[in-house]
Amino acid sequence: MTAPAPLLSNVLVPIANEADAATTMDALLERLAAADGRLTALHVVEKAGGAPDKVSVAQREAAAEDAFAVVTARAAVAGVPVETRLGYGTDVAETIREVAAEVDASAIVFTPRGGSVLVDLVTGDVARSLVKAADRPVVVLPAPAGNDDARGGE
Amino acid sequence: MPEEELAKDLGPLAALTIGVGTMIGAGIFVLPGPAAAEAGPIVVLSFVIGGAIALFTALSASELGTAMPKAGGAYYYINHALGPLFGSIAGWGNWVGLAFASAFYALGFGQYVAEFLAVPGVELVVVSLTPAQVGGVVAGLVFVGVNYVGAKETGRLQNVIVVALVAILATFAVVGAFRADPATLFPLTPPGRGVEVVLPATALVFVSFIGFVQITSVGEEIKEPGRNLPLALIGSVVVVTVVYALVLLVLFSVADLSVVAGNETAVVDVARLLMGGVGVAALTFAGLLATASSANASILASSRINFAMGRDRIVSDWLNDIHDQFATPYRSIALTGALILVFVLVGDVATLAKAGSVLHLVIYGLLNVALVVMREAAPSDYDPDYRVPLYPVVPVLGALTSFALIAFMAPVEIGLSLLFVVGAVLWYALYARRHVEESGVLTEYVLDRADRMPDAAVTAATSVQPDGGQYRVLVSLANPANETDLVTLASALASARDGIVDAVHIVTVPDQTPLEFGAAYAERVDGSSEQLLARAREDAETFGVPVETSTIVSHRSYEEIFDAARAHDADVVVMGWGEDAHGSPGRAETAIDELAADLPCDFLVLKDRGFDPASVLVPTAGGPDSALSASVAETLRAESGSDVTLLHVVDADERGTGEAFLADWASEHGLGDAARVVETGDVETAIERAAAAHSLLVLGATERGLLSRLVRGSVVMDVVDDVDCSVLLAEKARSRPLRERLFGR
Repeated sequence: MTAPAPLLSNVLVPIANEADAATTMDALLERLAAADGRLTALHVVEKAGGAPDKVSVAQREAAAEDAFAVVTARAAVAGVPVETRLGYGTDVAETIREVAAEVDASAIVFTPRGGSVLVDLVTGDVARSLVKAADRPVVVLPAPAGNDDARGGE
Repeated sequence: MPEEELAKDLGPLAALTIGVGTMIGAGIFVLPGPAAAEAGPIVVLSFVIGGAIALFTALSASELGTAMPKAGGAYYYINHALGPLFGSIAGWGNWVGLAFASAFYALGFGQYVAEFLAVPGVELVVVSLTPAQVGGVVAGLVFVGVNYVGAKETGRLQNVIVVALVAILATFAVVGAFRADPATLFPLTPPGRGVEVVLPATALVFVSFIGFVQITSVGEEIKEPGRNLPLALIGSVVVVTVVYALVLLVLFSVADLSVVAGNETAVVDVARLLMGGVGVAALTFAGLLATASSANASILASSRINFAMGRDRIVSDWLNDIHDQFATPYRSIALTGALILVFVLVGDVATLAKAGSVLHLVIYGLLNVALVVMREAAPSDYDPDYRVPLYPVVPVLGALTSFALIAFMAPVEIGLSLLFVVGAVLWYALYARRHVEESGVLTEYVLDRADRMPDAAVTAATSVQPDGGQYRVLVSLANPANETDLVTLASALASARDGIVDAVHIVTVPDQTPLEFGAAYAERVDGSSEQLLARAREDAETFGVPVETSTIVSHRSYEEIFDAARAHDADVVVMGWGEDAHGSPGRAETAIDELAADLPCDFLVLKDRGFDPASVLVPTAGGPDSALSASVAETLRAESGSDVTLLHVVDADERGTGEAFLADWASEHGLGDAARVVETGDVETAIERAAAAHSLLVLGATERGLLSRLVRGSVVMDVVDDVDCSVLLAEKARSRPLRERLFGR
């Protein structure tokens, strides 16, 4: 049996918005560069499936562009190869898993976003689903405390 | 792109239920009472006429929607076709109109709740709220809150709600049909009144039809929009009109007029007659469902319109921020919610209904006009899958009937709509105009044919054009031979500042030729103006720069450039220079002197010997014009990778000072890493010597009046003629003292 790929060699990073992109890149890029890995950033446009969405698709695609700009800029600075993708689906976690299978990711990596129990109940808890129904390694990185500088701190 | 097809998940039924669900709101449950009090049972006809008016617009919207299925729907079509001035009216109108309509639905909801639950009135210090208003406020808060938080289930629930609603109303109609007594329908109108009551009643109840257009705001999510969009639009109007007609017929033929007239919950009372307690429960429930689904859909649609307006820069994009946790456009929803609450507190059912209708009627009228414009201008990318039958009858009737219906409203609402239109126009003039980039198909159509259009139309089109905080490079193309080089330079300048290239072809005709024949003259003498402009357009597009083109036929050439620069609000003019470049200036020397003494903007004049920006020489002695040369050189370096060399010529014993000056000047103008050369001796000789090793010489005017001397043929410097490379002469616009501006040149 061949050895499994190193954990951070080909990571899939779900990105929710620009702030999430900044935090996740801060937490991830140094480790990725050290592990010589590559990254695929994914934003899933949540669809209502047969009913109008709460936000128009075009608006979310535009917001995703902003988030991707942060990802690609910081990845370029860190020297990490990056690819960005948009996904569409009614179940965000399921779509993430599908894309992870498509790119044969070695791990799905994210930083936890805050959110009260009540909010999660109403809006659905993607993180929980990713962890509980994982079919490949799922890595949760702590959000770095303090400033935004990708090169500062751990 | 297969993935983007995943973004489309609304089938025909879903699209239809959006329309039906939004339309069947409080209208049918609340308005028959007030309408009947005014007009009697003939109100049935009023509703049907309302449906017919809506149908015209539904047809037009179907064509526009299949051609441009984008978020924002009706607002987007009007903005794209008629330009941002009307876009401003349509966007604001649609948004605030939806807020009025949502307030109406919330109040209707409150009405129903208050009727059947013991809702207390509220006495605050300054204001007292009726039970209906209390219910309305609570309902409003709930609807807005649900959308703010983005609860996922509301979407799917919508379909179920609408189907249930239609089922209940259908049952009501069927049961009522058995108990109907046609004789109760008469007299059709109140004593002493005749058919003249029909249309005012239509004006009141038209709010019952304003939901169908919201299907277009989710146009981008509809599967196979070419087929399903028209199906949903036309289908929903037809279905809803039929349902209304049947329900109303039952209302008026089962119960005596006195039961219905003035009764804001008439439908429920008639249901009690027909089916007792079950009927009451069912119809009340239906009323609540209807108002809730309409309010929900309206709030959803309003945030899309905000997004579309923000995308077109008519309003600030600040509104369109997406919430980090809830992933909803929370600011837009909150603002709309605030409007709704205000309206619920200050309005009554009838006023809110009519206010909502009025604003939508303005939009419907404009939408029909937009269709006519798109068909007449026929831009190449306009390719609808559905075309309205009987063009132009349908859109013309649609526009006329929509605008005409406004006339039947009460003065309060007509006044409101006028106030609104004025407000939106002011918004455009004072805010949006500086930010918007696109001008609209209509404006481009008029300007492209400027010479064949009446002057008034051209002036109007140019003056309402967005002036953009956008950097505008006007290229004056008179000689086709120079066209590519000038447009290349212009595109580099525009690209560096995220600006736009405005290519103008000035065709000079002899004084003896009347300008009306100028176009024909242009065709014969200068070759096709359109061909020239088409080439210019292609060249600019290879740089990825937006480009506008227009043709001006004139007796004067240079003056026309100045006029065009002013009229188009250009930031810089790029033009060619040579004996043939602009024809003989003739007798206008004094005028040129005056004009050229005060440039409307920066001028760049290219002596074209083949435009090759590989190696640029910039001589400088300081001064504003060489600052302009520096900026051009820097742009060429950024856009074309040019090598820039700076040259400063001093007297023999001032070399040290000269080098210091040049180093400072270079870093001041962003050329700190350009090569620097300091020479001594005669300025012109030094420049000529240095220019031999470069491909482009960028020369700032040494004093004012460069252009006037150019025009009169007196050479600025011998150097221009002596060098082999191309020369770009730069003169900067000077700002005039206020006194001069006020009292003339």
